Amino acid sequence: MIADFGLVTLLLAFMFSVYATFASLYGGWKDRPAWVESARNATLLVFPLLSGSVMIIVYSLYKMDFSLAYIADVSSRAMSPFLRVTALWGGQQGSVLFWSWIMAGFVALVLVRKWEGDRELMPYVIMVSMLTTAFFVGVVVFITNPFVRLWHYPGAAELTTALFQPAGAMPYTPDDGQGLNPLLRHFGMIGHPPTTYIGFTGFVIPYAFAMAALITGRSRGDEWMRTTRRWTLVAWIFLTVGLILGGRWAYDVLGWGGFWGWDPVENAMFMPWLTGTAFLHSVMMTEKRGMLKKWNMVLIILTYSLTIFGTFITRTGVISSVHAFAKSALGPAFFVFIGLTFLGSLSLLFSRWGTLKSEHQLQNFISREAAFVLQNMLFLAITFAVFWGTVFPLISELVTGTKITVGQPYFIKVTGPLFFVLVLLMGVAPLFAWRKQAARNLGRAILYPFIGSLAIAAGWGYLHRMHPASIPGLWLVSFVILAILTEYWKGVQARSSSRGENPFISLVKLFSRNQRRYGGYIIHLGVVMIALGIIGDGFFKQETQGTLAVGESLSIGDYSFRFEGLRGYPGSDGRDVVEAQLKLFKGNRFIRDLRPRRDFFIVQEQPVTVPGVYSTSGEDVYTLLLGWEGGSQDAATFRIYINPLINWVWAGGVALILGTLVAAWPAKKERQEVTYVLRPDVLRGVLAQPETGN
Amino acid sequence: MRETQLESKQSVQPMLEAEQSSQPRSQIGYYVTFALVLSMLGLLAWGLKKAQAGPVQNGLAPDFTLRGFDGRTATLSELRGQVVIINFWASWCPPCREEAAYLERTWRKYQDRGVVFIGVDYADTDKEALAYIAEFDITYLNGPDIGTRISQTYNIQGVPETFFVDKKGQLRGVHIGPLYPPQLDEKIDELLAESYPGVAHDR
Repeated sequence: MIADFGLVTLLLAFMFSVYATFASLYGGWKDRPAWVESARNATLLVFPLLSGSVMIIVYSLYKMDFSLAYIADVSSRAMSPFLRVTALWGGQQGSVLFWSWIMAGFVALVLVRKWEGDRELMPYVIMVSMLTTAFFVGVVVFITNPFVRLWHYPGAAELTTALFQPAGAMPYTPDDGQGLNPLLRHFGMIGHPPTTYIGFTGFVIPYAFAMAALITGRSRGDEWMRTTRRWTLVAWIFLTVGLILGGRWAYDVLGWGGFWGWDPVENAMFMPWLTGTAFLHSVMMTEKRGMLKKWNMVLIILTYSLTIFGTFITRTGVISSVHAFAKSALGPAFFVFIGLTFLGSLSLLFSRWGTLKSEHQLQNFISREAAFVLQNMLFLAITFAVFWGTVFPLISELVTGTKITVGQPYFIKVTGPLFFVLVLLMGVAPLFAWRKQAARNLGRAILYPFIGSLAIAAGWGYLHRMHPASIPGLWLVSFVILAILTEYWKGVQARSSSRGENPFISLVKLFSRNQRRYGGYIIHLGVVMIALGIIGDGFFKQETQGTLAVGESLSIGDYSFRFEGLRGYPGSDGRDVVEAQLKLFKGNRFIRDLRPRRDFFIVQEQPVTVPGVYSTSGEDVYTLLLGWEGGSQDAATFRIYINPLINWVWAGGVALILGTLVAAWPAKKERQEVTYVLRPDVLRGVLAQPETGN
Repeated sequence: MRETQLESKQSVQPMLEAEQSSQPRSQIGYYVTFALVLSMLGLLAWGLKKAQAGPVQNGLAPDFTLRGFDGRTATLSELRGQVVIINFWASWCPPCREEAAYLERTWRKYQDRGVVFIGVDYADTDKEALAYIAEFDITYLNGPDIGTRISQTYNIQGVPETFFVDKKGQLRGVHIGPLYPPQLDEKIDELLAESYPGVAHDR
């Protein structure tokens, strides 16, 4: 009964996390270091204990212990061992356990780091992060426990689930499990949940530090932001990768040729990403200029609350009943937790509002400071628009009695222009100087990128003159790319002319001397690449549909397809596959065979459409097998999409990862920066000196 | 990072004063923010309560307009005085096949007696849906639930799911899972027997 050990470690983890919450609070409040130390030790135990539970679930999945309801639900004999192990996050019970485990891992990692100047924050960091962990572990223990077993009452038609043997029931072990939802058997869906969870849970660290800073009254300083900068970056990049993998999954599996549908579940993930991105930028202002402290607090509280909110609406079906897990106690539990988080952090924030004063005033509207403020506002505006569109069905139902979904057009119309301004800002803001930007210098700085982009947009626009709406987008993308490249070029130029280095070495040194800045530019380039993919998807997509007999052809754009026949065979993982053979031609030239498929999962009785894709850097040719004529199988229906530029979305994702690595990689230079000591508050105002420029 | 070490021009005293004087102003912001947060939480609580309640079972049936595969349309609110059977189905749903023939048979039996059948095709592809309709020779109105809007309004738990609407447009129950004879006949007979003002009682 190895599964029982998993239950025991789970219960212990719950008790330790509850204990750590209270011990750290008591220790911090009454100033008893021994209690804090004890809380820290308890916290450090939670992660190994949860690891035990996770490993036992993984082991049970591997060994196919179908006496556990969860294992019988998400795995089956037909699934490969690898797929079975990934079923750890294939269902709700496993997901929440996995989530708690990652969160405990983050908290343990942050506790083993060196605590020097910020030791005062520790009790409250433990308290906030362990309170969250205790909540999630509590949900696993009491509401969606993966160690629940299957039982059978003699004569009963249905099985019962319970942790311990109910009186009169017999243990029951099915011969085979249900198996993972076929739609989830894709690398995007295998990678998407863990990365998303890491991203979501990672934000607990900056949040806990922010709350600790507010509780201790050290919110005037900005150590908490320095300490958590890299943690935030890690959470952010995982969330980003999670979003992109989710998009890739939708593109490959859902079979509608797109990657983003403004679905409530997608929005739930996108909102914390938006505020988290704003937060990452906004803290720079505090670091450099001591401004926007209130903004940072608001942004981190929002980001963290939105991650919980996202989990809530995804898991409880409040907005979209299609993903509903109705009638579970999960909803009310999450609701109470969200309420407490939101109201608690807001009260704390307001009680310390006065300590969050800016050290400088905004001096000019054309300055880097103003650009940061503007970008915060834009990010918030987009978040609000997405939030409004997401909860609108609920609001409309409350007000008019009819549930109205706003759909894609709303999101595109409202957020499109905001994104346009935001991307534009991304291109020009790095050129702004701190404090005050002389208009003439700015004009000089953007002159060449501007002229260049006009030329590119004119040429590009001419090629796409049937889509005039795309031209502003194309101009924007070219302008921002040129502006960023100009920044690199200027940096290289300055180095190589003053030191006589060769330009390539200058470029490498540029990165190592100012990782954050130049890594940040790579991330910006990644964003522009994604924007380019979205423009392609929005304006240049072509699609067609047709039924073909064997030997017949269908054409779209420069391409044509010849249907060569259907072939059926039993596939792996318990599916029957029907595969179409298409020959793809560009003009008269044969390019390759495409094999769009329809997989039918026998146990789940669910079909999954697998597209046949021919991918180039310029465009994707995406073919779907929609159906075929009865028994003869000599005619089949296809839908075909030409998705130009879509691969820029994925390439942009890679650029984001790369840029984040450059920006976050530990380096000697940065260590010096971290050891920097903040000016004591006592001296504030005494050394009133006129400011000098940077 | 020299600039962070530089002093601001303000001294301690004016800063404190500024904080105090800003207190009343931020009080209003404080209440407004809390009111907003509380109303959002209220909204969520309400949504949660509804989501937990399962499918809507009584009250006025939520209105919708369905455009059929054959181009015919139907708007629920225009069908007052008739008994309406709303069936959610999908071609990929095996239990739906079990009830399909029974549904069509019942429709043919009652179609001239003030009963309307509406088939709402949930999350499906047109091609398969049309093949399904042809297979069972379904003649009542069937159309795709575009954007799963109707299914969301009715908060369906899965397919097949059938909602019964009386002559006044009130929901009179839902059946989850396939219908077997004589469940549907019984329900229709019960609803047809009720009187509706302005329309002659069906004899």
